[in-house]
Amino acid sequence: MIAFLLVLALQMKVPDAEQFVGKPQGTPVTGEQLHLRTQQIGALLRCPVCQGLSVSDSPAEMAVNMRGQVRELLSRGYTQEQILSYFERSYGQFVLLKPKFNGVAAAVWILPLLAIAIGAVIVVSKAKKLEAAPAKSNGQPATEPEDPYLARVRELVEKP
Amino acid sequence: MNRTVLIIGLLIVAAVVAILFMGLGKDPAHIESPLIGRPAPGFALKAVGSDETIDLTRYRGKPVILNFWATWCKPCWDEHPVLTANAQMAGGRVQYLGVVFQDEESKIRSFLEQRGWAYPTLVDQAGKTAIAYGVGGVPETYFLDKNGIIVAKFAGPMSAEDIQTNLQKAMK
Repeated sequence: MIAFLLVLALQMKVPDAEQFVGKPQGTPVTGEQLHLRTQQIGALLRCPVCQGLSVSDSPAEMAVNMRGQVRELLSRGYTQEQILSYFERSYGQFVLLKPKFNGVAAAVWILPLLAIAIGAVIVVSKAKKLEAAPAKSNGQPATEPEDPYLARVRELVEKP
Repeated sequence: MNRTVLIIGLLIVAAVVAILFMGLGKDPAHIESPLIGRPAPGFALKAVGSDETIDLTRYRGKPVILNFWATWCKPCWDEHPVLTANAQMAGGRVQYLGVVFQDEESKIRSFLEQRGWAYPTLVDQAGKTAIAYGVGGVPETYFLDKNGIIVAKFAGPMSAEDIQTNLQKAMK
């Protein structure tokens, strides 16, 4: 029976990281370091079935499976970049808790900063105009025409 | 000069609002698959109810409907008769495959015996195949063309119309 199960296990084949991100480019990690690195990389991956939880923080079975896969890849010598690329290949940038600085993600960062910069230019330019306006009137008497009603009142009052 | 700056500023604000609106309008459960247009990850998994191992490459040459599901998933219960009926109608022209993950084989077998089956159901140990396909929840279905290229993904329980609409892409 054990031999039969062994043969069956050998026949089974699951998608392997090597066909997607190539051969391991790092050195295999073991022991306590393996646990630590699994947690660190899991913290960079989003659990796809959770609400904003990382793979390291989630108790969901999917996250447990993903952690297991991160652990296996680290023990085979895959680097952090290769492991993140492997998951990104399947799930897209959605799976990365720190999205890459490109495409729409870059626009979301850049556009508000650009809008603030333009707003600052407008404010500075308006402030300069306001500063310049009182300077022009310095030393000159007020030349506003008098209200005809007030002029008539003054005339009547001042009349001997 | 100020007028130009103001127009540019308004355009930027409009772009930011549009991006945010697009994001808010999206279903967070729906994950766009980057695998569309790429070869389907290969696998060979054990079939439920038999000692056979089924390799995906066996079905190269005809469209494949790959349905990820689990017995603990209620929407999968609703979808199961739709898939079974469509698989029976398709005959041998389209290959339906079920891949069950995060489940026990005894429960899967019991489920299928009660509700019937019309195509192979495979067991995905440790969810490795599901992860390679970017499965974010069940049920989730991938449509492969005759060359083994993923042409469509459907998240959630499918109706007969959903199957036909996506199958047309795989038949091209």
